Amino acid sequence: MVLEIIVMVKQVPDSQEVVIDPVTMNLNRSLTRNVTNRADENALEAALRLKDSVGANVTVVSMGPPQAETTMIECLARGADRAILASDRFFGGADTYPTGLTLAATISKIGKFDIIIAGEETSDSSTGHVGPGVAEFLDIDQVTYTSKVEYKDGYVIAERELEDGTEVVKVPTPVLVTVLLNSNVPRRQTLRRKIDAIRKGFEVWDHDRIGLQPEWVGVRGSPTIVRRMRPIKERERAAKKIELSAVGDLVKELYEKNVLKLEVDS
Amino acid sequence: MSEFDAIVVGAGPAGSSSAIKMASGGLNVLLVERGDPPGSKNVSGGILWGKDLSSIIPDWEKSAPLERYVERKVTSFLTHDSEIAIDFKTKKFQQDKTGYSVLRTRLDGYLARKAQQAGAMLVTGVTVDSLAMKDGKVVGVINEGETITSDVVILAEGPNPRVAISAGLREKPNDKTVAVGVKQVYKLPENVINDRFNLRGNAGFAGEYVISFLPNNVFAGGFLYTNKDTISVGVVINLETLRKDGKTHSFDIMEQFVQHPYIAPFLEGGQLQEYSAHFVYEGGYESLPKPYGNGYMMVGDTAGFSFSNGMILQGMNYAISSGILAGESAIEAKKDNDFSEVSLSRYWKKLEVSPAILDKKNFRGINSVVWSGLVHRTIPALLETSLQNMLYETGAPKKHLSQILLKSMSSTGVSSKDMMIQGYRLMRRM
Repeated sequence: MVLEIIVMVKQVPDSQEVVIDPVTMNLNRSLTRNVTNRADENALEAALRLKDSVGANVTVVSMGPPQAETTMIECLARGADRAILASDRFFGGADTYPTGLTLAATISKIGKFDIIIAGEETSDSSTGHVGPGVAEFLDIDQVTYTSKVEYKDGYVIAERELEDGTEVVKVPTPVLVTVLLNSNVPRRQTLRRKIDAIRKGFEVWDHDRIGLQPEWVGVRGSPTIVRRMRPIKERERAAKKIELSAVGDLVKELYEKNVLKLEVDS
Repeated sequence: MSEFDAIVVGAGPAGSSSAIKMASGGLNVLLVERGDPPGSKNVSGGILWGKDLSSIIPDWEKSAPLERYVERKVTSFLTHDSEIAIDFKTKKFQQDKTGYSVLRTRLDGYLARKAQQAGAMLVTGVTVDSLAMKDGKVVGVINEGETITSDVVILAEGPNPRVAISAGLREKPNDKTVAVGVKQVYKLPENVINDRFNLRGNAGFAGEYVISFLPNNVFAGGFLYTNKDTISVGVVINLETLRKDGKTHSFDIMEQFVQHPYIAPFLEGGQLQEYSAHFVYEGGYESLPKPYGNGYMMVGDTAGFSFSNGMILQGMNYAISSGILAGESAIEAKKDNDFSEVSLSRYWKKLEVSPAILDKKNFRGINSVVWSGLVHRTIPALLETSLQNMLYETGAPKKHLSQILLKSMSSTGVSSKDMMIQGYRLMRRM
């Protein structure tokens, strides 16, 4: 039986172009272009590598507004077999709780799955909640912050990057795995694949299709409310130019100011 | 059997216009753009003379992302510390709006979406590597070694058309056919822009400048256009004189322009939002490439369709009109099911009686006048000295205009005979 892999992706404002409106303190989304969250591209690549090595059916799911279309097409062009966008005006304004719920319900509707792969977090809010949230809603195991994902005989073998080393985890499917940003290099989309992806098209599911009540999702289903945002003042930093020949003096100065500490191996 | 009737390379105004035309005419069209979204790789001053759009988008004046309509048009000489300008404003432009300032990131996206709505397939973020050829005929495009076939390919790559050049359909840009454009966009509140430029409502300012104060005989022109809540400002630098000088950098010229005492106050307090540079096509009638052949047509800047005569600097209108004409030709060729060179020569016949070619033809040789010492050094210096003498009260007895002019000529080193000959040439060419 072919392995069923679900990849969760999100379209986000390009983090290199994010502009905060100085008056409202909100993200000015009109100025920024939208891209697929980079870590989610790594998640899709991890899924496609499993597809290449052991064979799999890869379905991409996302929750977002209609303009997430470009992300759906992009994922299909990279090699996903199917793409489903959960999109409904009732989903708007969701925090991470109803987002996880919506995605979990969408995945349940798809049917049988073996592995769910998501990026570690999205660059627009950086909570890292949604992946683990989906695992909890679906009541399955989860492995977070992985750099490598393999599959063998009903088990996922994943490497987790920890502060002091790498942990190798073996866990039976079904399981949810989150993938670190830059843990692989996503494959390119060619013109041929893009044309085929546009022709194939993606599905749009609303709350009814997924089987969710409007009051469970979106802003009404969200327990948190952002009351206020404020910018962080950039700290003034002292700088001075030193000649290469004066590096010794700098080291001495930093040592005396207790910035540098001297440690001698015994 | 080809996969598409037509493939358009590049979703700028030329490419998207031809795609709209062809898709509306029932052709199966693929529009490929390397930028994502369309417009992100493009730079232009940003005044759209869009009358031609009416035939493919009847409601464009309502639906397109237009910033302001041009009501005040300034043509100006900037010397080191003076400005001598013709400042033409007319409420007539309010009735009959012809020019609009636009931001290309928005306009190009809008046009590409219109092409999609007309039925074209739009693919962004992918670069066409080369043309697919068979028996001396263009039969499609190649990306990453894979061929996508079509009956005809429309090349709308802009002023540095890599694909057209590598296929030998066009010459590489050189110092005579392109100038370098540098552009900045500054954000300012709408009411501040209205106050600074003496504008009301949606009226806009379009200024074009001769920058005559650059060292070492480097020639450059400047432009400044108002958008809703931004200002587009930039320079177009003549490459021949820039290269000859070899010391001046294009970004230094840009800096000197925006810091000019009569430019800087317009921009004061503005937040820099964009900084870009691009080729500007400037070739004359003589350097136009043959814009069609077996299985292909070239449109917009790729075919050399742009125009400047010192007073005006236009490109998007020719891009749109040539795109539409190429689209029309493709539809006709499809009816005959003949995309040979002979069949596509109908495109050239349409061009020949359109402004894209006629303007070039009628203003043949204009470049040698626009980029001349007369326009860039002599006239500004002469005007500055004369006006200074004429308009300021010095306490000395007043002189006649002719006396002032003659004296200014001698102090700026111009003989009256030279001036007459050159002045006559200038008037004739313009």
